[in-house]
Amino acid sequence: MNAFLEVSDARVFYGSNEVLKGVNLAVDKGEFVALLGSSGCGKTTLLRSIAGFNTPTFGAIRVGGRDVTRLPPDKRGMALVFQSYALWPHMTVDQNIGYGLKLRGAPKAAVGERVAEIKRLLGLEAFGARKPANLSGGQRQRVALGRALAIQPDILLLDEPLSNLDARIRLTVRHEISALQRRLGITAVHVTHDREEAMVMADRIVILNNGEVAQVGTPEEVYNHPTSDFVAAFMGAENLLDLSGGTSGDRIEIASNAFNSSAVVSARGRELSGPLNARFRGESVQLSEETGDASSMRDEGFLTLSGIVEQTSYPGGLWRHVIALGPAHVIADSPRTFAIGQRVSIRIPEAALFLFPKR
Amino acid sequence: MPIQLIGFLLVAPALAVVLLLFIVPLVSSVTGAFDVGGAFGFGNFTKALDLYSGDILFTLVIVLLSSALIGLFSVMIGGYLTLGTNARAVAILRWIYRWPLFIPFIVVGQILRTFLAKNGLMNNIFIELGLMTPAAAMSFLDWRGIVVAFVWKQTPFVTLLLAGAMASIDQSTIEAARNLGAKRVRILIEIVLPQVRQTLLVGLILSFVTMMSVLSVPLMINAQSPTMITANMAFRINAHGDYGVANALGLISLLMTSVAAIVYLRQTMREHSQ
Repeated sequence: MNAFLEVSDARVFYGSNEVLKGVNLAVDKGEFVALLGSSGCGKTTLLRSIAGFNTPTFGAIRVGGRDVTRLPPDKRGMALVFQSYALWPHMTVDQNIGYGLKLRGAPKAAVGERVAEIKRLLGLEAFGARKPANLSGGQRQRVALGRALAIQPDILLLDEPLSNLDARIRLTVRHEISALQRRLGITAVHVTHDREEAMVMADRIVILNNGEVAQVGTPEEVYNHPTSDFVAAFMGAENLLDLSGGTSGDRIEIASNAFNSSAVVSARGRELSGPLNARFRGESVQLSEETGDASSMRDEGFLTLSGIVEQTSYPGGLWRHVIALGPAHVIADSPRTFAIGQRVSIRIPEAALFLFPKR
Repeated sequence: MPIQLIGFLLVAPALAVVLLLFIVPLVSSVTGAFDVGGAFGFGNFTKALDLYSGDILFTLVIVLLSSALIGLFSVMIGGYLTLGTNARAVAILRWIYRWPLFIPFIVVGQILRTFLAKNGLMNNIFIELGLMTPAAAMSFLDWRGIVVAFVWKQTPFVTLLLAGAMASIDQSTIEAARNLGAKRVRILIEIVLPQVRQTLLVGLILSFVTMMSVLSVPLMINAQSPTMITANMAFRINAHGDYGVANALGLISLLMTSVAAIVYLRQTMREHSQ
């Protein structure tokens, strides 16, 4: 394993509270990795440890094979873009962008040249003499990015850089940042709690839960092949069913229940038996009028549920239905709407049905 | 009763207090400065300038020098409280720096009188340590003593304001500078100080006005000439019953503080307009 940026078994404590519980991470040169997790999962702590603002109690951080665990933040070849942007309010855009070079003792002419280059890169040519207070959120964000890029870091660290932007601007800035990252070929680590943002921007996603890495993979892998109940739920498979079943050979047999059919799905290497947590996304099912009682059906390659429509809404694109399965509720989307009170069948293809042992 | 009248009645007590205790004495002191034997004239001012122009200059220099030193020390202490990495040293400093705030000026004068005198505690310590011969001992009870007293007493006040302002700036602006390689002194001067300069200015102006009005310190430490004009004013009244010259000196002192007050007002106006 010859990763460019490597975190091995990093453990960080705040007082007696263990915030990172032995995290391993490997980022290749030029790769864009997103650290994804809900608040308090340790993602910002991990980023700050990489940046050098926290020193892990145990473990090491290496860049290009060199141990940087105890080096100060400026000796690691990294630049951090802060969530609040942290622009210096008393300096102009030019001064903000040029400060890192000034600290390195670059001659004035060289600083001016580099600042002009960065402003051109980020479309900030017209704002050089402005103070941060006179810039819009998107412009400030670009200045913060420019300030980090000006020193030509090997690694760019982004701490939720989009969370302070308007929803609409955020969508365009996402693409701007990832396009820029590819163009410069810079290695980037991006912290976010926004699943879609991570999916759109990153080459690989690291999902953190409670100070531990829950799963690492490409956006497609973590979305379609979650390895744990937590990851499945975090990646949007919020519908939860209690099932039971057992594995025989390369097939899992799901037992029928009051609201679901008995079904056989391919095991794909999983060994499951007993009570199961089943998760699926509302948009990956097919909804139809009920043709027969699900509990008496036997399906192959999919699972059928039967329930009663309780509520409908139109969030755009598809109709959303809240469907009661006895005391439980699931959400399912459909191109057409079903009447409230109607009995419906929900067909879940095996690829969209995530099964985990119940804990 | 009309509403305006009720409003007036409500503010009347406060207004009366301001009028009787503040405006009236101020006006009478100002008119008294121009009262020469019952007639209007500038006699008190010519006399005050004849006798005390040296002291007026002395006062201005002492207070400005003290303000500069207070500014320097409060930036150093506030900076260490904000950027210091040794948590224990920061805690000790935070606990200790405020003490002089609670000591009255007269007590400060008294303490420093015994400390700075020719055979005072400071010289005795130096002699005991062999750093100085008894013959070389000299008294610091002159302008230096006043400056020491002012700086010792007022630095905590300005530091209190400044450290609060420093603590409330966005800490990530400090981290951003560290991330790019700025050392602590540079962060203090280039990142932190520019963001709190208004608070520093306000603290120094309030401190300037306070020092201009202190009588006890010059009386305790420097009962000789030149001295501060507060001591001269007390002397004119107590020894000569000469209210005219005392009022003239008061007005001169008022002119000096109003320059500071104008700077202060312009500063607060600018803050409000932002």
